[in-house]
Amino acid sequence: MKFGLGINTDETTFEIVQKCILAERLGVDYVWVSDAPVHLFAPAVVAAVAENTRKIRIGVGLMSAFLHSPRQIVHSLVTLIETYGERFELCVGPGDRNMLKSVGVSARHPAGIKHFFEDTRRQMRTLLGKQGIDFRLWLGAQGPIMLETAGFYDGVMLNYAHPDHIKWAIERIKPIRPRGFQFGIYAPSYVYSEFDPEIHRLLRISSAVVALGASDAVLKRLDLSGLVAESKRKFSEGAPLRAVVDGVPTKAMDLFSISKSTGELGSYLAELSLLGVQHVVFSYPQNHDETTIQDLAAALKGWARHKSR
Amino acid sequence: MQLDLGVTTGMQLTEILGLSELAENVNIKNVWVGDDITGAHEVFSVTTSILLKNKDMNVGIGITSPLIRNISTIARASTTLAQIAGDKRFRLGLGIGGLQELNKLGITLRNPVSMLREASILLHRIWNRETVTFESGHFKLSHYRSAVRVGYPIPVFLGIRGPRLLTLAGEIADGAILSGPKTYLKKAVSMVRNSIAKSGRSEKDFAFVAWLPTMVTQKPSDIRLVKQIAAYVLSDTPQNVVDMAELDSVRVETLKKTYQRRGIASAANLINEALLDEVAVCGDVRQICEGFQAFRKMRFQEVVFGPPYGAKPRAALSAVADAWGDYL
Repeated sequence: MKFGLGINTDETTFEIVQKCILAERLGVDYVWVSDAPVHLFAPAVVAAVAENTRKIRIGVGLMSAFLHSPRQIVHSLVTLIETYGERFELCVGPGDRNMLKSVGVSARHPAGIKHFFEDTRRQMRTLLGKQGIDFRLWLGAQGPIMLETAGFYDGVMLNYAHPDHIKWAIERIKPIRPRGFQFGIYAPSYVYSEFDPEIHRLLRISSAVVALGASDAVLKRLDLSGLVAESKRKFSEGAPLRAVVDGVPTKAMDLFSISKSTGELGSYLAELSLLGVQHVVFSYPQNHDETTIQDLAAALKGWARHKSR
Repeated sequence: MQLDLGVTTGMQLTEILGLSELAENVNIKNVWVGDDITGAHEVFSVTTSILLKNKDMNVGIGITSPLIRNISTIARASTTLAQIAGDKRFRLGLGIGGLQELNKLGITLRNPVSMLREASILLHRIWNRETVTFESGHFKLSHYRSAVRVGYPIPVFLGIRGPRLLTLAGEIADGAILSGPKTYLKKAVSMVRNSIAKSGRSEKDFAFVAWLPTMVTQKPSDIRLVKQIAAYVLSDTPQNVVDMAELDSVRVETLKKTYQRRGIASAANLINEALLDEVAVCGDVRQICEGFQAFRKMRFQEVVFGPPYGAKPRAALSAVADAWGDYL
């Protein structure tokens, strides 16, 4: 299994770069730099990270294919690869619906979302072929239609953390996946040696954001529709996150986030490994500070030692 | 007047980074990165790399178009670059984009004046971290608030052509990146200056940048290349600019048609000495420097040494930068 640290781009580039340098020093396989319409621009942040690190692999994304054209996304990656070498992977997906709406972008397509993401993949591969450049192209997926589409990509980043739902998602993709296809999960995470309620509160907020941005189909399947509907409506009408987050049931945390002590993480990873998950990205608030990054790295080293025995 | 380097995203990245490094070594302080919409690289990513690798240079985007990117993306990408640059080294150039390139992408241009005015206003509101709700034919934002702080006011330059856009630049921009026939440029500067004065602003807070194709020419093949670039520039030049430049309209119209029907090489055959002199700066190193000097007289503060540079771009840049010292 490979492990990544998810990096939110709502900090300064200096802070982000320092955290990535630390992750590299601690032996984390990847950093994944997310892109959101209200935060820093991921490709530029990634360049700063690459300039200041030597070998850690860097994931770009999730980049919303509704917000950025395939040409812009590919050209960003081509620029990064030509400047810093083949250290990059890319994850595209729809992106957070509420944030897209706030910048006037619809997460719908007249020909359907499946067609849109198949076409996005085709355009990207064509452009990359012209440049003679290749990298792993992930699809960020959660709902049934996106999962059906994932087979066209090199891998899928599932936006789930609960093993039951990961299993459900993997089983939907398995029949259509090509050779070499990779399964990954990308989830708000808090792996800790000493529990800090404040960081746990941030985890709850991050899980709520995932629930609020989930499609109706996903919420229905998870029996969350009724429970989240009111908060989702208020949020999409512009209510601030802090005003709606308490309306999202704590169940969302179990479904979408990883909350484990360093001692508990191993058995969870073992379960994921049995399901076929090959990549786990621990996203915000795991990157909260040096301690949370160190705790994660220590837990992963413990897991690696356990595996090698 | 400062000598700047101009690069474009359609160039090889090794050349972009190599020329930028060389420029810093020969004491050029400013680089402008042009966004070739259909080129192989992404403009904000290229600009980031130049900023990261050249710590003492000002790097500007000259220009990118709100027609091809969401305004929120331009705002936050600029914020990111300003943060990476620190010390006020980043400048943003906005414009419509090359008409032919937009055509290729199937993008229709409607009311560019209102588009650029709105873009500039929205960028400043986003950078001020206001909660923005706005809807027009060009942009739509709903309860949008950036989470990112900007360390300093990012200077916004407009890369524009034509009287109405020139007037707009004088009203709202921190500078103008001007290109086109030299006769036109003289009038364009005058229009912008009038607009600055009418808006009650000071010219001290405004910078004029001239960017024309430049090339150190040594052999006939160099002249052929620069003529092709001139043909491309003229084929993308709107009629009102052709009129302001007092160019031979019939010849330019024929050139445009030839370019569309038979390609750039045929169109280049219609570039005579007068047209070439109007739209490009070329010749030996001294002639290039003399050519640049003419922009100082027009009140430009910066002049860009941009593609195609010369048969050997690095040698051409070194030679021009070296000779330019005598003109300071």
